[in-house]
Amino acid sequence: MRALGVVGAGGFGTALASVVARGGHPVVLWSTSPDVVEEINRERSNRARLPGVELAPSLRATGDARELAEQARLIVVAVSSTDVRDRARRLGGVLDGRHMLVHAIGAAAGPDDARVSEVLAAETSVRRLGSLAGPALPADLTAGRFAAMVCASPFDEVTAEARRFLNLPPSLRLYTSRDLLGVEASASLSGAYTVAIGMADSLEMGPGPRAVLLTRVVAEGQRLVAAMGGEPKTFAGLAGLGNLLVRTSAQGGENAPGYQFGRALGRGQRPESGARLPDAVRAAGAGARLARRLRQRAPILEAVSRVLDGELDARGAAALLSDTVALEE
Amino acid sequence: MTAPRPVLEAENRLVRFNGERDAILEVVERRVTGAYLAAAERSPDASLEYVLNDVAYAEIQRYEASGGQRGKKSLGRWRDLASRLGRMSEAEKRAELEKLVAHYARDVVGNFNPRVYRFANDILPPVMSVLFSPVSSLKEGLAAFDSMSRRIQIDGELEAVRTACDRGTLVVTPTHSSNMDSIVLGFALRVAQLPPCTYGAGKNLFSNPFISYFMHNLGAYRVDRRLKFALYKDVLKEYSTALLERGFHSLFFPGGTRCRSNVVESHLKLGLLGTGLAAYRNNLMNALPHRRIYVVPATINYRLVLEAETLMEDYLAETGKSRYIIEDDEFSRLGRIVEFVRKILVHEGSVVVRFGRPLDVFGNDVDDRGESIDARGREIDPATYLTGEGGAVTVDHQRESVYTRQLGARIAGEFRRETVLLSSHLVCRAVYDAVVERTGTPDVYRLLRLPTSAVSVPLEDVAGRVDRLRAAVAAHPELGVVDDRVRAMPAREVMDDAIRALTSYHTKPVVQLAGERLQVGAMKLLYYYRNRTAHVPASGEPS
Repeated sequence: MRALGVVGAGGFGTALASVVARGGHPVVLWSTSPDVVEEINRERSNRARLPGVELAPSLRATGDARELAEQARLIVVAVSSTDVRDRARRLGGVLDGRHMLVHAIGAAAGPDDARVSEVLAAETSVRRLGSLAGPALPADLTAGRFAAMVCASPFDEVTAEARRFLNLPPSLRLYTSRDLLGVEASASLSGAYTVAIGMADSLEMGPGPRAVLLTRVVAEGQRLVAAMGGEPKTFAGLAGLGNLLVRTSAQGGENAPGYQFGRALGRGQRPESGARLPDAVRAAGAGARLARRLRQRAPILEAVSRVLDGELDARGAAALLSDTVALEE
Repeated sequence: MTAPRPVLEAENRLVRFNGERDAILEVVERRVTGAYLAAAERSPDASLEYVLNDVAYAEIQRYEASGGQRGKKSLGRWRDLASRLGRMSEAEKRAELEKLVAHYARDVVGNFNPRVYRFANDILPPVMSVLFSPVSSLKEGLAAFDSMSRRIQIDGELEAVRTACDRGTLVVTPTHSSNMDSIVLGFALRVAQLPPCTYGAGKNLFSNPFISYFMHNLGAYRVDRRLKFALYKDVLKEYSTALLERGFHSLFFPGGTRCRSNVVESHLKLGLLGTGLAAYRNNLMNALPHRRIYVVPATINYRLVLEAETLMEDYLAETGKSRYIIEDDEFSRLGRIVEFVRKILVHEGSVVVRFGRPLDVFGNDVDDRGESIDARGREIDPATYLTGEGGAVTVDHQRESVYTRQLGARIAGEFRRETVLLSSHLVCRAVYDAVVERTGTPDVYRLLRLPTSAVSVPLEDVAGRVDRLRAAVAAHPELGVVDDRVRAMPAREVMDDAIRALTSYHTKPVVQLAGERLQVGAMKLLYYYRNRTAHVPASGEPS
């Protein structure tokens, strides 16, 4: 069990697996797509998700979850929030108490808005769980540009094992935290807020109002994280603010589905009925529901949620937010 | 209710305790001393001088506060140690450490006297029955003993607990409302055909010579809650670990002290709870994986609580002034205990002890064979949770503290699920909610200032609320269970049952009938009994 395991051959999962493999560690990547497995193993590429990137030779893909379980003790789950329950269920049949699962999913999972770590605990017998989040974009990882993430787990041995594989200076630095709930919540909420910033940018509100919105986002996010039982400061770290800044920046926003979705909403476009929504958009709905359940003020998420529900357009949401009574900061 | 199985079959492992007592002490002393010496070698922050100074400082503080002639003598000894510390050689410090560990281990250790056990089991209960029974003849007293099982109702997953007890060692973790709990639970274990458990009893309970005699000879060990320094806590934990490793069933009150407010406990103390995991890990490392340890959450549910008045006063006392150890409550007055037992415990359904399904030391469920299972019902090997990088079981205290926290959270959930709601809880909740609604304030301190003569609620309103509360609990098993007897009653009978109890023991009636209304007589106690359902939301829907 010497390898790092990665579940999911999306852009982030493949990039992370390749970077770790280049760092000299054995990596086994499990995908449910036989074509992708074959392409990675034979052609050293994953053109659909990482076009133009040559993957490290020591990265091995597999379609067999058992192989993943045998070779890796620490496994990073990097699939969409809509797929995580299915993958967790499959992993449940092959993993045991020796394994460690760390997920890199920035949204609540499934219709019940469960945290991803709760889903992993319910579907597998693994207890040593963690979460990985931060402003590390696949393009940065594969280009070897400086990137940083945080790995949170109540178990120090999980974060230590994650550091062993993922702390690869100078290109990738891994910070650690025990605030699993805070990091999960911050990653999910920061994705949700990219939709709000996307809407605001589309309305060309100007740098002043944008800055006000960003600071209100930080205050609201910290309030929600605290109400959930996490550390409020976690939202101001890599998983929250770090994630938000990179995904709403000029370059990073281009490939951030939540931000782009927000921009489209700002232009008055609506998603087609039944369309698969990005994780960040699902996180916005889940965040608004959470705030209502916890009886927390969350005017920004509430405004996004009302736009998503078709009750308001982006301008209406902006007007609503600017009308919100200012309280003590 | 219980399977036809002879009581004797429940093996009393405590009979072999005295034979192993010295070996247990030796292990405790060796491990604690060894751990401190190793820590001192690793880091100057854990030097022996620091450890000994910590003990001396805490003891000096204690004896300075307690005063008395004996205290003065002890104070002198500790001051002498503190003054010598700077001049002591490492060998002298080590000898002092060994002496202190041995001293505290001997202060903690229990004893088991089979003759006292037989007396307590066979002779004491009929005598107590006569003493506590409203009937007066010996014959009727003995008959009352026969009906004890009806007085203290035993409920829950008894067969699963018996299986676990055959397969491994039990750690029974009950809720804690009253000093009567250990007596009630001791009796419940016997009626449920489960073996006796050893447990850590507060040293204050040993101040009564009568109770002390029985406690000391029935395997209870002494926990001095005044000693808050790390060395003492480590001795205590290592003692508990050694007992569990050797298969002695144990009982911890994870709430720590009696719950002051009567809410179902959710903030649990994890120190002793973690010793179950430590014992399991030690057994694994000693190649004894079959020696499983099972945690059995249990709830002790009283229609009336002996010390309710004192506990509630303490709870409502200004924050920071509440007392952790109360020595002058109802339990310290024999007359009140007798009155409580004669008036309350003799009535059917006044105490329900409910045992939950056993869990493993990680908080996983176990199946009917005692095997751990995950949330999807798959059998799992709990030893795998303790493996390190190479696949072998390793000691990792940080890892174990997380598992123990998770176990605590699971037990807290089980406490709610296994809470048995009795008539007093339901009626007090119904009346309290009606009062809150009528006065428009949920602020308990404002409610307490209301003149009780002005607070009454129509019976019809209370009955409706009792019905809705029962329905809400029935729809959400995670919130508890309404007692079978109470479930079968019409709401009016539930109220009569509660009123009978609530007017019969406390110095003031909690509620009483006033025509077609229920008059509140003691708002604090109304709040106290209402709190047992505090986790049941007003809407009936859990958040």
